[in-house]
Amino acid sequence: MKITVKLIGPFVQLLGFGEKEMDVPADTTVEGLVALVGVDRSRPRIVTRNGRAAAPGEGLAAGDRIAISPIYSGG
Amino acid sequence: MNGWTGQFLRVNLTTKTYKKEPFSEEFARKWIGGRGFAAKILFDELAPGIDPLGPDNKFIVALGPIAGIPAPNTGKAVVAGKSPSTGGYGDGNLGTRVAEQLRKAGYDVLIVEGRAAAPTMLYIEDDKVEFLPAEAVWGKGTYETNDWIYAKYGKGVGVLNIGQAGENLIRYAVVRSLEGRAGGRTGMGAVMGSKLLKAVVVKGTRPIPQADPAGMKKVGYDDLREVNRIDKKTGWSIQSTNGVLAWCNEVAALPVRNFRKTHHPDAWKCDGERLNNARIATYGCPNCTMRCGITIRDEEGRESELDYENVGLLGPNLEIFDLPPIGSLNYMCDDYGVDTMSGGCVLSFYADAVDHGAAPGDLRFGDSAGFKKLLTSIALRQGEIGDLLAEGSLRAARKFGHGSVDYAMQVKGLEVAAYNCKFIPGMALAFGVSPIGAHHKESWVITFELKQSVRESYGPEKAKKVIELQRIRGGLFESIVACRFPWIENGWSLENYPKYFKLVSGLDWTLDDFWTVADRVYAMIKLFWLREYPGADRKQDYPPAVWFDPTNVDTEGPIAGKHLEYDKYDVLLQHYYDLRGYDRRGIPTRATLERLGLAEEGRAAERFGSLT
Ligand code: SF4
Repeated sequence: MKITVKLIGPFVQLLGFGEKEMDVPADTTVEGLVALVGVDRSRPRIVTRNGRAAAPGEGLAAGDRIAISPIYSGG
Repeated sequence: MNGWTGQFLRVNLTTKTYKKEPFSEEFARKWIGGRGFAAKILFDELAPGIDPLGPDNKFIVALGPIAGIPAPNTGKAVVAGKSPSTGGYGDGNLGTRVAEQLRKAGYDVLIVEGRAAAPTMLYIEDDKVEFLPAEAVWGKGTYETNDWIYAKYGKGVGVLNIGQAGENLIRYAVVRSLEGRAGGRTGMGAVMGSKLLKAVVVKGTRPIPQADPAGMKKVGYDDLREVNRIDKKTGWSIQSTNGVLAWCNEVAALPVRNFRKTHHPDAWKCDGERLNNARIATYGCPNCTMRCGITIRDEEGRESELDYENVGLLGPNLEIFDLPPIGSLNYMCDDYGVDTMSGGCVLSFYADAVDHGAAPGDLRFGDSAGFKKLLTSIALRQGEIGDLLAEGSLRAARKFGHGSVDYAMQVKGLEVAAYNCKFIPGMALAFGVSPIGAHHKESWVITFELKQSVRESYGPEKAKKVIELQRIRGGLFESIVACRFPWIENGWSLENYPKYFKLVSGLDWTLDDFWTVADRVYAMIKLFWLREYPGADRKQDYPPAVWFDPTNVDTEGPIAGKHLEYDKYDVLLQHYYDLRGYDRRGIPTRATLERLGLAEEGRAAERFGSLT
């Protein structure tokens, strides 16, 4: 299924892209996607699915927009 | 007294006199420094009801025990006074060499009183204070003023100065320092301007008293290197504060079109990635190895330093999504000495008021040329509209009428920072109960709300988090006086700060000791407000009405159909008051004041407003 992945902040430079469409298996979870994209698992992060915070085990659906961001603390 | 110089420098511009005043170790321990010192001095010395733009107000520069000493991000100073924008206690911090130079000159606090007869520059060098003419730069912007000062004294001195906005008493004029730093968005630039004080220049040559100078030097430099190493690893300073813009856009927290919208498809054009790509240079405050100041070329080819707050509020908030015009508006604010955040909110408020038929004019969102023109007319107080908007969004809205107060994006008269709380209850509370008006520096809870709580909650966990962050951000960092970014963005442990404090003062404090002082300082500031507004109730801690408006909801996206709810917000506010030991008006109770060692201040405040 097709989803859109958006990286935020330093993840852009660390992983080499800002936003892209990806074709992922239908049973992909949030954490599965994080691993697939190559985010260092030790890095604190917040993942949102269509603008809402997503739990690691949450399953994805076709058309989802997933944003992976460091945990900002608001300047 | 190790850890503090033990002296204030009190300068009177009317009489051109000055004196050094010792303060006791007990005072130092009770208030630590920075905001703590400023709040106590202003409470003791300002008569309630004075005009913040009159000679009775005082302009304070306050430093803390680790300010100016090489260690992570200690090149900061607090500027404070009665706020011209709110009429309450006002302060702000900025990166400046004044932190180090004033302490080396022998002072932890500079108190400026009175009003000069002509534009003046104050020059302080150790025991010497000179009142120098500043006519040559009166009417000039902050960049030219800074260059004029550097040409006289070299770049090593500490400088605070104002631009035309401060001179013209724009109520949200800031104090500027170095090439890209500003602080005191509560109108501290206007307080300087009201005293005809164009600049303060400081040079110090003496050592800062420390319990273990050799130990502090080693730890300080080691930790500066370590913070730099961590920052390189996390990559935070690649996009710096503007990294959060894309995230705010994802989660519907970005201010767009005077906060009416929470996200926009073009926001990516001015996000952190684009800012980093447009970078031409990097700047930082003294004693900083994270250096978060990113400059770009603006439309006119000038170098303009951008961060998230000014991109958010001068960009998407005005429906401008291109970095060069945002950079131009930012450069103009910096040069005039207008606060970029309040400036952005005032510009967006006016465009919204025109759009809603409440104000005359034809300015439209997205019209960057129109916004530049308006900004100039505000900074120079040209024309009826420029002159009115120079008073801030709340005063302008009261004049425009037609319900426009509801969408003047401010709390207590201070415009909100770049986080759209249309449906973020805890952050709305953080703005509501900030002790200086809507500022994000006290507490920022959005990630917590989304990740550790749920967005819809108005529960006590959010009030508790707001207090926890107030103690750290508005308490510890504003009193010890250091930049909070190593901790908030790169995970630098808070336990480092009692360690530094012990090395400079010899005192073995825990973080809990700092929280007690933080609570005392917040209560002290509440008493300052009580004296100024004795009839005010809990409504003064409410965020802008438009966030509660069911006709203003998003029609798509993550918070479609949602808005804040009055009943629930009021419950959340009560959680905050209960946890703090405040009464139903948001005033510390007698028991709370007693517990915090403020019984005497409580009695003094009671002559103006009642306590429970
Ligand atoms: S992180 Fe930024 S604001 Fe903080 S001290 Fe460094 S340059 Fe200044």
